[in-house]
Amino acid sequence: MKEEFLKKWQMGLQIYRPLIDNTSVSERRKAIKLSADVAMASLRKGTTCWSRALIQKTATEDNFLVRQMLSGIKAETLINKKLPKVMCHRKIVRRSKKILRRRQSRSAIEEVAAKARKLVKKKTQGLRNVVPGGEFMSNDVLLIQETLDYIVSLQTQVNVMRSIVDAAEAGSERTAYYLGKLKFAIEDG
Amino acid sequence: MMMTMMMNGGEATEAELFLNCDDMSVLERQRVQLNYHQYHHPGFEPTLPCFFPNSSKMNVGEVDSFLPSAGLDLPEIYGELHGDARISVSPGNITTEFGNSKKRKFGCVDTETKVCNEKKKMMMMMDREVAVEEEEEEEKSKVTEQSTRSIMKTKNKAKKEQNSCSNDSSKVTKDSQRTDYIHVRARRGQATDSHSIAERARREKISGRMKFLQDLVPGCEKITGKAGMLDEIINYVQSLQRQVEFLSMKLATVSPRLDFNIDDIFSKEVVSAPMMNLPNTVMPPHMMVNSGYPHDMVNSGYVHFNPMQQVVTSSDPLSCFNNGQSATMWDSDVQNLYTV
Repeated sequence: MKEEFLKKWQMGLQIYRPLIDNTSVSERRKAIKLSADVAMASLRKGTTCWSRALIQKTATEDNFLVRQMLSGIKAETLINKKLPKVMCHRKIVRRSKKILRRRQSRSAIEEVAAKARKLVKKKTQGLRNVVPGGEFMSNDVLLIQETLDYIVSLQTQVNVMRSIVDAAEAGSERTAYYLGKLKFAIEDG
Repeated sequence: MMMTMMMNGGEATEAELFLNCDDMSVLERQRVQLNYHQYHHPGFEPTLPCFFPNSSKMNVGEVDSFLPSAGLDLPEIYGELHGDARISVSPGNITTEFGNSKKRKFGCVDTETKVCNEKKKMMMMMDREVAVEEEEEEEKSKVTEQSTRSIMKTKNKAKKEQNSCSNDSSKVTKDSQRTDYIHVRARRGQATDSHSIAERARREKISGRMKFLQDLVPGCEKITGKAGMLDEIINYVQSLQRQVEFLSMKLATVSPRLDFNIDDIFSKEVVSAPMMNLPNTVMPPHMMVNSGYPHDMVNSGYVHFNPMQQVVTSSDPLSCFNNGQSATMWDSDVQNLYTV
């Protein structure tokens, strides 16, 4: 899985390489991150909700990259697909629920349970905000499933990136070390 | 009428035959009709023919014990056991509950929910048929896990078993050749309302998934509540996302040209250095190297600038630069350096 991610990511970076005006750090960072995201999402080949949502999100920022990175036909369908379900307006739902709740009798036990349920609901809403495409997942089961998959992908992404950074740093440190040594030696002699 | 609804023309006669058997319970009669979907299945197990005979009850019990071994062949078995097939839901005959769970999972192909709904009222058991989205393999295995788990919990009374599966009866999203229905039994001492059963199934699914999440997210073994777990999950996901941003920023600063040669990263366990082109400031040392400066130490660091391929000790993690593949790439880069 790591190898595939790496290959796809490299492919994405290749697209950016000819654009030599990636001079600013932020440009490069954006290029790296976007291509990494699309690589990660494309590994799932459109089977998971979060991957589709992530691709659509990056398509808004860099349509060209997404089209290049995914194989032709799939890119079209993924980008142009409408987002699955419009989330129901939370305020309206909340207000109607409040009205309903006024009629219910409150016992002590029920109140505690109700509070617990409220808390859980809040947390699931928080999770929806974090996971890409979370708002469109209609039920909790799906949400948790998607979260599982998303976490696994994120972990691979982080591992791969970290190993590259470490390698790059090791290389640069070593060369910097020798650079320093050389400079020193030059100045001396 | 049900027959004609369910059966193809050629098979109608057989169906009639079976439906006229008075000794069969209503339930079995219903099931018979469904068998003909799988009538033509190959791969019928040779041991089963002995179960063909007429008396239903006894054979049902025996067939049950065969089920655990049958596994995924169950639908075919049903097809062949003309009419006795549907391992019945009738009480008191169930030898292995585990067998039942399997049967229920794979059996009961039912294309007409109306028919089933009618029959349900006549059934003795509180059976519920729940549509299942057509699953991939993992989903199936998960469900069997769940169903077996729930089977383990149940008491040994025949009437009170539960086999819970996905509850999305109203949301059969994927159209498959067979829509599988799962019979759900209420557990002892619990509500038998269809809604609560479905809810319970859903809750079990969620808690199952949460267990997976507990394994994934580090440091979650002690947390028991849903809210706490969700909190941890949110924090973990956010931290992972932040790490990605941070690492990409770092990468961007480290390499101005966005090129990393990672051919060897996974072939060797050693962290191999990417092919980095340091900016022009490195040029002078390069010339220094060529003019006979101490080669051994410097070359190991600057080998990528050296057009001559020098052999470096393998203990050096940068030795990967000398691999055949990298050689060609190095040359072009070195030339780039010269031209700049």
